Amino acid sequence: MKIKNPGLTILVLITLLILTIAYVLPMYVAVVTSLKSIAEITQRRYLIPSLSLQFENYTQAFRLIFPAMKNSTIISFSVTFLSLLFGGLGGYYLSRARTPFAKVLFVLVGISIYLPYQVILIPLTQIMASIKIPPVTIGTWSFGGVPLTRTLWGLIASYLILNVPLASLLMGTFFTAIPRELEEAAEVDGASRLQNFFRVITPVALPAYASTAIIIFTQVWNEFLLALTFATPKTQTIQMKLVEIKGSFVANYHLQMAAAVITLLVPLLFFLVLGRYFIRGILAGALKG
Amino acid sequence: MSATSRSLKHRWLRRDRRAGWTFREFLIFLFPLLVCVVLLYYMLIRTFWVSFSNWEGVEPNYTLIGFKWYKMMFDLARFQADVSNNLKWLILGVLPTVIVALFIAYLLEIRSIRGTENYTRTLILYPVAMSFIVTGTIWSWMYQPDKGVFNTLLRGLGLGFLEGRYVTDPATATYWLIVIFVWQYLGFSVIILQSAFRTTELQEMIESALLDGASRFRILLQVIVPNIRGGILVLVSLLLISSLKVFDIVYVVTFGGPGFATDVLAFYMLVATFQQHLVSLGAGIGVIIFLLACIIVVPYTIYAFRKWFE
Repeated sequence: MKIKNPGLTILVLITLLILTIAYVLPMYVAVVTSLKSIAEITQRRYLIPSLSLQFENYTQAFRLIFPAMKNSTIISFSVTFLSLLFGGLGGYYLSRARTPFAKVLFVLVGISIYLPYQVILIPLTQIMASIKIPPVTIGTWSFGGVPLTRTLWGLIASYLILNVPLASLLMGTFFTAIPRELEEAAEVDGASRLQNFFRVITPVALPAYASTAIIIFTQVWNEFLLALTFATPKTQTIQMKLVEIKGSFVANYHLQMAAAVITLLVPLLFFLVLGRYFIRGILAGALKG
Repeated sequence: MSATSRSLKHRWLRRDRRAGWTFREFLIFLFPLLVCVVLLYYMLIRTFWVSFSNWEGVEPNYTLIGFKWYKMMFDLARFQADVSNNLKWLILGVLPTVIVALFIAYLLEIRSIRGTENYTRTLILYPVAMSFIVTGTIWSWMYQPDKGVFNTLLRGLGLGFLEGRYVTDPATATYWLIVIFVWQYLGFSVIILQSAFRTTELQEMIESALLDGASRFRILLQVIVPNIRGGILVLVSLLLISSLKVFDIVYVVTFGGPGFATDVLAFYMLVATFQQHLVSLGAGIGVIIFLLACIIVVPYTIYAFRKWFE
């Protein structure tokens, strides 16, 4: 649909202008401010970039945020990887089985991916606090004997429970689109269902795995409710650290903004590099089934 | 001849067996998912149980006591304020987002200027990669009444009379928080609506309506909107659920304040459970949030179910 009409062109331009201001201004000001000194910020010329860029702000913010960033990286990558593995398997079942059991399971999974975390939070903290890692001693070095909540495992396990159903539905949606003939050809050659899944389906579905991975990764990296509930100084995630920095450096907007930019960086990078997969993942999640 | 028929029969049998799943296959494919689903529903039931018991303080107490905490909850001024705030979120977080997104998606569809589509998509979609915590941190500073970006810019433009107190004014604070939500979800909404536009039938209908000389506004209202009902419904459901679950924005920007002017159920649940140690009350609020979500999620899942098993 292509329409030539000067009035319309003006309308489009005005809309674009408003959107550009609305979406560039907050990020622009955040980045510009993150590179200023306190003295420059008090001059209140927020739109004008600093003449001497203060990269030390980033060094300082990064030093503060690094341990939390490490935690978030470990958590997000392991949850993403395991969710893809388990979600791929479960999603394949949901996309192929047509038994009454599969139907019931689909409804249960479908509802569970929209459970507000608040409604499982209390039992979840209890369960994670009651499971202890068995103590292990290797020479003089020993670990374990502490509840899951005091290690990263608490968050990893919790996110896994919440994200495997989502990964299953996303992957199931993508698997449904793969023609059955592909598997049937392999079946005739005597491939088992498992071989079929790993040798035939998985290679074809790699882009789908990429989409699901980005969605899960972003969701886990950005999650806050569980991160807050399970936070201990050692298991703090990056979002939790950002909140802490915002609270303890009240007037130091340059530090706050630098920390916010660092927190945003990893998911934003994924979005900019793999935007196509990101959009596909969003659509699969939205129009699931 | 007999060899061929035997192999055909054999093949047919094998096919048939494959239509079902052996127990071993069933376990391999489904075990992790089943564990997660069972745990989730077990925890859901536990929360219901806790909400009907009398758990106050640090020690768990599972003695059932009935509706005690629900009765108390409904009488709490803070709970009532939360419900009215949640209603604001549900209405104002969703309606304007859908309308503006529809408008933008339509303008992009008309494509009167080349290259606008990719530009606009990236421009308004990047917030999907941001957490509410990052957005909230940045917007907190924009909103800051004294040194904040908005007021400073308004003064600089000579529009000082437009200065606002934003999230520090109890009367309007919630609305300013909702603005952040709309800002963040607009790109997401445009993407979903755009994909609903992209059906050949709809494109043909628009073409023929244009040939008939219908105005573009009428086409939007009378041809497009009725034909993308499904897409709009999906979008509205997703936005409703997201706005019901929002608590990060509240936590990071206002912490529920001033007073509890910006408090919402999802935030009060945390406060009741972990600060006031009224665990049964917290569980009850969780249950209320869940039931509200079910009004949206259950029909949505049925809709998805029909498409999945059609």
